Amino acid sequence: MSTTDPRDAVVAEPAVPEVVAGAGAHAGAPMARASLWRDAWRRYLQNKGAVIAGAIFLLIVLFCLIWPIISPHDANKVDLTQARQGPSLEHPLGTDAFGRDMLTRVALAGRISLAIGLGATVAILVFGVIYGSTAGFFGGRLDNIQMRLLDALYGLPYLPFAIILLAIIGTINMWTMILALSIASWFTAARIVRGQIITLKQNDYVRAAQALGARWYRILSRHLLPNTLGVLIIAMFLELPGVILGEAFLGFIGLGISPPDASLGSMAEEGRSEYRANPHIMFVPGLAIAILVLCANFIADGMRDALDPRTRETKEG
Amino acid sequence: MTAFIIRRILWTIPVLLLVIFLTFVMMKQIGGNPFRRTERAVPVAIQQNLERKFNLDEPWYVQYALYVKGVFTFDLGPSLVSRDRTVNDIIREHAPKSLELGFYAMLWAIVLGIPAGVIAALRHNSIFDYGLMFFSNVGFAVPSFLVATLLIYYVALKWGLVPTNGWTTWESKILPSFALGLLPMAYFARLVRGSMLETLQQDYVRTARAKGLRQRRIIVRHVLRNSLIPAITAIAPLLGFIITGSFVIEVIFSIPGIGRYFVTSVSSRDYSVVMGITVLTSVVIVLANLVVDILYGILDPRTREART
Amino acid sequence: MLSRNRWLSAVLLSLVAVLLVVGCGGDDDEGGNGGGGAAAADQTLKWGLGSEFLLDPGLATDTTSSKILSNIFDGLVKLNNDLEAEPAAAESWDENGKVVTFHLREGMKWTNGDPVTAGDYEFAWKRALSPELGSDYAYQLTGIQGAAEYNECENNCNALRDKVMVQATDPQTLKVTLTSVQPWFIEQVAHHVFLPVNPKAVQAAPERWTRPENIVTNGAFKVEDAQPSASITLVKNADWRDAANVKLERVEGRIIVDGTTAVQSFEAGEVDVLDEQLPPAEIPRLKDTPEYELYTGLGTTYYGFNMKNITDINQRRAMSLAVNRRQIIDTITQANEIPAKGFTPEGMPGFEEIVGEGSPWTPEAGDIDQAKEYMAKVQGPKQKVAIVTNEGDPNKDVAVALQSMWKEIGVDSTIRVMEWQQYLEYLGPPPPGAVDLFRLGWVGDFVDDINFLELWTCESGNNNTGFCDKEYDALVEKAKATPDDAERTEIYNQLEAKLTGQDGALPFIPMWSISYNNLERESVKETFQINLLDQVDLTTVEIKES
Repeated sequence: MSTTDPRDAVVAEPAVPEVVAGAGAHAGAPMARASLWRDAWRRYLQNKGAVIAGAIFLLIVLFCLIWPIISPHDANKVDLTQARQGPSLEHPLGTDAFGRDMLTRVALAGRISLAIGLGATVAILVFGVIYGSTAGFFGGRLDNIQMRLLDALYGLPYLPFAIILLAIIGTINMWTMILALSIASWFTAARIVRGQIITLKQNDYVRAAQALGARWYRILSRHLLPNTLGVLIIAMFLELPGVILGEAFLGFIGLGISPPDASLGSMAEEGRSEYRANPHIMFVPGLAIAILVLCANFIADGMRDALDPRTRETKEG
Repeated sequence: MTAFIIRRILWTIPVLLLVIFLTFVMMKQIGGNPFRRTERAVPVAIQQNLERKFNLDEPWYVQYALYVKGVFTFDLGPSLVSRDRTVNDIIREHAPKSLELGFYAMLWAIVLGIPAGVIAALRHNSIFDYGLMFFSNVGFAVPSFLVATLLIYYVALKWGLVPTNGWTTWESKILPSFALGLLPMAYFARLVRGSMLETLQQDYVRTARAKGLRQRRIIVRHVLRNSLIPAITAIAPLLGFIITGSFVIEVIFSIPGIGRYFVTSVSSRDYSVVMGITVLTSVVIVLANLVVDILYGILDPRTREART
Repeated sequence: MLSRNRWLSAVLLSLVAVLLVVGCGGDDDEGGNGGGGAAAADQTLKWGLGSEFLLDPGLATDTTSSKILSNIFDGLVKLNNDLEAEPAAAESWDENGKVVTFHLREGMKWTNGDPVTAGDYEFAWKRALSPELGSDYAYQLTGIQGAAEYNECENNCNALRDKVMVQATDPQTLKVTLTSVQPWFIEQVAHHVFLPVNPKAVQAAPERWTRPENIVTNGAFKVEDAQPSASITLVKNADWRDAANVKLERVEGRIIVDGTTAVQSFEAGEVDVLDEQLPPAEIPRLKDTPEYELYTGLGTTYYGFNMKNITDINQRRAMSLAVNRRQIIDTITQANEIPAKGFTPEGMPGFEEIVGEGSPWTPEAGDIDQAKEYMAKVQGPKQKVAIVTNEGDPNKDVAVALQSMWKEIGVDSTIRVMEWQQYLEYLGPPPPGAVDLFRLGWVGDFVDDINFLELWTCESGNNNTGFCDKEYDALVEKAKATPDDAERTEIYNQLEAKLTGQDGALPFIPMWSISYNNLERESVKETFQINLLDQVDLTTVEIKES
């Protein structure tokens, strides 16, 4: 039974907490956790790019949450006399084809896109954790079956099923998008979790806990899963861009959010036919997507560097 | 090694059966009438005639059995909507274009992406390095349909260098494959760069340098091979991206590929085409995974032992 | 490690982004071609099409196929600019009550050398009616005696086939017996389902005879090559009966599905005519260019009521009055449609007599005050309505506009956008109780108002509103039995009044007549014309010197 599946090598990092926690590892997870996170946080802060990205990301999230509440404009109010205006004092990012304020709409769309992104990512992680930890922890027969099934699922073409699924459901709102986007993406997460659990399982403290008679769910929840948390968070920020882009993509083929709601993806798709005469209608959501994706990437890389001491030597400054 | 290959090939059969079953169930759920194209209602008599003709009035298990038999005899049935063609015809006419598109996209990605990553790693912290990181981030972050639209506008329309759409002359193939290859290109570049940077710090490289080996020889013999491994493993997920991304590129560039056909077939409820394309895509993915695993086994002897 | 250059790249990215936004205003000019008088040396038309084509007259349903088919096959009649039937393959015809006899010209040939005979038309029409073929347009032929029975047959159909009253009494004569006197039948024969096919070719390869290597045609152009979903190449048929008057030598049709790409393709000079729907967003920019061309189509878009839910006629009237069609057309659909004055579309012969002043319930710019008045008369109005529409530009947007217009008269609405096939299934008839308003349209098959007005009979499969009026049905039957055009138009006027007139039941809100927006290069603009039925006659097209 292979413990290092080559496909995991890309994303998964080796057992991080062990090396870093040092003395704490033998005493049991909690102590390792405390110094691990503090160390990681310190290292994260040293990475200027990641810090800036994190700040921008946070700012965008706050903007999306707060602006629609305080904005003088109603994002869904149709005012055809004001249609397609360029940026101005009253409408800093212009108006769209219906005369709706772009800034407010982008904020609202950002909310929905972020919610979908978060929702799908969490769903992916939940499926992944459940599937991966059971496979990794129990091992043996169960693991074999689960991994073979996963191999089979990998063979399913994702897009056709997403399209068919959305066509079956009919109306597309936030929840169905989350479902469609997460349904075929949890495989990698499952693999990563499984890999982690298998490696961690071999630690002394786990054996000690087992010897002491701890139940399997206690071992999982108290010792193993918290130590996979770092890897999971990284995975989450790595999935986020894919989900946001995936949602934009589905919007493009006509499976976007139903109006009058909009997500960044559906706004970008609507903007595409407008861009010759009114480029801002396409660029505003397009840039928003790009910035979010970039920030998520930076953050993920920053966290990965922070949690993996090996790369410290190759860091400069 | 051969046992491994044979076992993997045998696994494609249950996977295919699963795919057929799931697709069949989903298409049954989806409702709609493949014979109704416009708002005009289909007269009852005609509807009945057509259902009889295409076996849609049989019970579901009969239809399923007929279909499975069809798959294994390579006869995927007639198209319900394109009435003068069979699914085999459609696949034969359109799939090669998509495969070509995907192939060229991957080619762009490998030919531009990997060397770029290598050079960036070697010229760490230079202008080239910064420039590369910048472009790779763009390739990553901006949705492909926006990039494609801009590319057509500037390169094809404003500068008139290539046609704006179609898949006919070699010039017309440049832009779409490039647009599709951008994200994989960016991915490869970053991956190779990161992995090379790491490898360059390794002890055995320092040893080789200390021994006095020339830089180039070091790179080619030691560093490159190990750095490429993560890139190879990235091919499989990137292939998935290329398959899904090709739908968008095919629509925007008006390429008569199978991706575009698939999306319209779901909308028009052309069951047999939908099933046919899904099964085909599944086979392609499974085979691609197989090839990648084999390549990986060749390149990285460590994993060969781990695979029992 | 990598922080500095990543930060730098982020800054660079933002700079470029700003530059792009600033720099990307407006677009380049297209080279304007002066429309000269002389014919160009190269008579090759590059034709941009919007959808796939199917080259079988019996099976094709979409307009792209129809356009191509009517140019590669020679029908008995064709329609002139006034939409009257003109001789084509038939040099004359006699109408004797229910019997119509066509006299074919002599000396016409198929591309495989076979002579064109009346038997070819009989074969094609019976084929279109055959239950095995399952043609969508078979219903166009059910005006012929015996046709409906043959089409509905379940087994042992050959006997019924012989009872279909289309007979080639000799190679140049086709005798057709109808079920009743149908004054519009001759015009109907211009539809592509009545085009002939070559019996030998079809029988030799029943599933594959439309391939370029197998296809046999008899029209002004023949198929040189056809790449499915991509392109079609036609060349002039030198053996055609009127080849001397055909100017075009070659037609290169190219399928471009995406509207934005299609416009870019035209601007790059890759096509001469863009014969597909332009994206609404581009029209304001394009409509003042010399290449823009607007045609009216024979079709009406409407929003139907679920009359079981919105029962009070005053509410229906109010909602129709509240719609500002002008504003929607100007800012949303932007395809220069004509606001509807009734259900009968503009361009229908007899339009003025049938529609008169126009429906009082469809003021062009809406009338909010009157709407509120009528709303006030409603006892127990339905204040929350559910609109359902199918996806696609600009349907969603129109629904959003309607939502805000109806809000002003106190009606709150929710919008549900459905995918096309599910949408059609959902609407029945009858539509489910959950929906109150739905968007639909009707495009004419032939040029007579009966095609539109018979939609609203009680049993019609295309009547999703629940409107049922026995008198209306009786009037429709009466119209069908009235051969005199003027008398019939009078009846149409009564029917229209029952729908949208002062006392009409208003089962739907008529929105606008459809329009076709093309881009045509000046070298070809004058001669390339689309008629009401979205047909183009390529034999009249000539490319001028530019």
